[in-house]
Amino acid sequence: MRDQFLPAFSFQNAIIEPWSLYFDSTIWIVTMGFLVAATCGLIGCFIILRRMALVGDAISHSLLPGITLAFLLTNSRDTLPMMIGAIAAGVVTVALIEAIRQSSRIKPDAAIGIVFSSLFAIGVVLISAYADTVDLDAECVLYGEIGWIPLEDRIVLGGHEIGPLPVIRMAVIGLIALGLLLTFYKELLVTSFDAGLAASLGINPGRYQYGLTLFLSVVIVSSFESVGVILVIAMLIFPGATSMLLTDRLPRILWLSAGFSGLYGLLGFHLATWLDASIAGGMTVVAGIIFTLVWILAPKRGLLVKFVFKSHSKGARTSSIETQAG
Amino acid sequence: MKNVLKQSTMLTWPVFVFACLTLFLGCGSEPQPSRKTLKVAATTTMVADLAAAVVGENGEVHGLMGPGVDPHLYKATAGDVNTLQSADLILYNGLHLEGRMADLLVRLGRRGKLVYAVTEGVPESELLEPEEFAGHYDPHVWFDPNLWSYCVDTVVEAMSEADPANAEAYEQRGLKVKSEYEALREWGEAYVNQIPEDKRILVTSHDAYNYFGQAFGFQVVGVQGISTMSEAGLADIVKISEFIKEKEIKAIFVESSVSPATIQRISKDSGTRIGGELFSDAMGLKGHLESAPDGSSFDVGTYKGMFKHNLVTIVEALK
Repeated sequence: MRDQFLPAFSFQNAIIEPWSLYFDSTIWIVTMGFLVAATCGLIGCFIILRRMALVGDAISHSLLPGITLAFLLTNSRDTLPMMIGAIAAGVVTVALIEAIRQSSRIKPDAAIGIVFSSLFAIGVVLISAYADTVDLDAECVLYGEIGWIPLEDRIVLGGHEIGPLPVIRMAVIGLIALGLLLTFYKELLVTSFDAGLAASLGINPGRYQYGLTLFLSVVIVSSFESVGVILVIAMLIFPGATSMLLTDRLPRILWLSAGFSGLYGLLGFHLATWLDASIAGGMTVVAGIIFTLVWILAPKRGLLVKFVFKSHSKGARTSSIETQAG
Repeated sequence: MKNVLKQSTMLTWPVFVFACLTLFLGCGSEPQPSRKTLKVAATTTMVADLAAAVVGENGEVHGLMGPGVDPHLYKATAGDVNTLQSADLILYNGLHLEGRMADLLVRLGRRGKLVYAVTEGVPESELLEPEEFAGHYDPHVWFDPNLWSYCVDTVVEAMSEADPANAEAYEQRGLKVKSEYEALREWGEAYVNQIPEDKRILVTSHDAYNYFGQAFGFQVVGVQGISTMSEAGLADIVKISEFIKEKEIKAIFVESSVSPATIQRISKDSGTRIGGELFSDAMGLKGHLESAPDGSSFDVGTYKGMFKHNLVTIVEALK
């Protein structure tokens, strides 16, 4: 129990000490926060456009049968078999979601709901039928914690310590995501906005959908393993959604997402330090605050501007927004 | 590859600025005086209580998980990271109670930190394991004071290794704690005698009380299985309700760190009452006093108080 609801803000404790006394922890937690947010944000921009923003949440549930089967097959709760089971379940999840939405009239949000709830239910049934006597849940056997990143084993390359393993792994995954994005930028852009146009340009939209979502499932599961679930679900949505309030152009959205990711990592860490609270929680709260500020104050489309503008000339503004929305 | 460049410059600047700051601050500070007290970090409230009892005035214990926290739902705070890094000794329960965090602690141990799982001293023959999954032991050993006594030895050994100068003091306090636990078990055995043996059936949310049941002659029925995350099957609920009616069980129990919904449902279905709330994976609030019907009072924020609370609650409801 806390003595007081909001502890007094101490510049020394919340800002100076983390970067002096505890520099080695701080730098890796903030870097990891940035890397997770930037990588998830990068892919998130595309999945928001495809109306699949909640796929992260979906996978966090649907990996249950994966880890259960992995446990039943190996009789081990070590991270490696759990990861393999979870990635397999993640891949199955997104493949099923894509298959349903591409071959029926069901919209992506409903397809996500159908797939993740069925898979989660299969996991619950498997556990209660076969693995009731061991403690087996994703929270306990798979999800990591961003706060522990500085305590992880350090990678040493050529005599130089370059950083904790999960940070390096996340950086590599982020670079791969960036590389894939730059290589397939045109295809992703066209298929995300207009599948019909893509087909007429000779781009098979289905193939890119599968490609993107399969890669996504690997990124999501490995991020869960490194930093836990809440940060990943939030960062798939916040950077992209916030940037989209500021601009319509995809390159700018991607740049802004990267910028916001840095802010989430840095400010979120300091918020958590000040309140002595969960770090992933702090970063997510900061993302929520920044979103709210942008939503209200955005120069072109903010609530404030809309409100002021509306009282001047109503017609022109609303029609332009409708065109963009359509 | 512009993004990559941006990433690296974004990182380099704060690193550079704060590296300068660190140097600056580092030069200014005087060399630290030699440490007087042993800094111990402990995961669950039970481990922290045990550690505090053994370390006494020779050190201080920082518990990571608060009262009422399900170890699965524990989230690390920024302060916890520093607690672990600056600790001279880290103690955790082990037997997979802390989940993946234990892997991390073991890796820290490999890199030279003193890290001990307090349950490592409990003989394997005394541990309960599910028939079909060998090696995945039940972690809830603290509910049998005799088993928890084995953990005292491990804690004494760990502290003596971390602070050899005071080994004698840890040894002495360890013996005292063990005799207290022994007395606790004897008190419990006598107290439980108020319930006839065929009425000793404990129905609770999850399978946390198997060691308790073994020690005090209770048949333990956990509705949810051992994980706090799994859900009770409908058939389980019906089966348990039938079982309660058949055995005429007077009361069933909810747990402080598990949702009471399923137990409430069973209570409704079977017409039996809820006998009270038991502590399972965490203890109560420090300084919260309760009294037993025999007049003795205890603090549910301590291991002994938590144990007495559970036993008194069970016995008063079932006798």
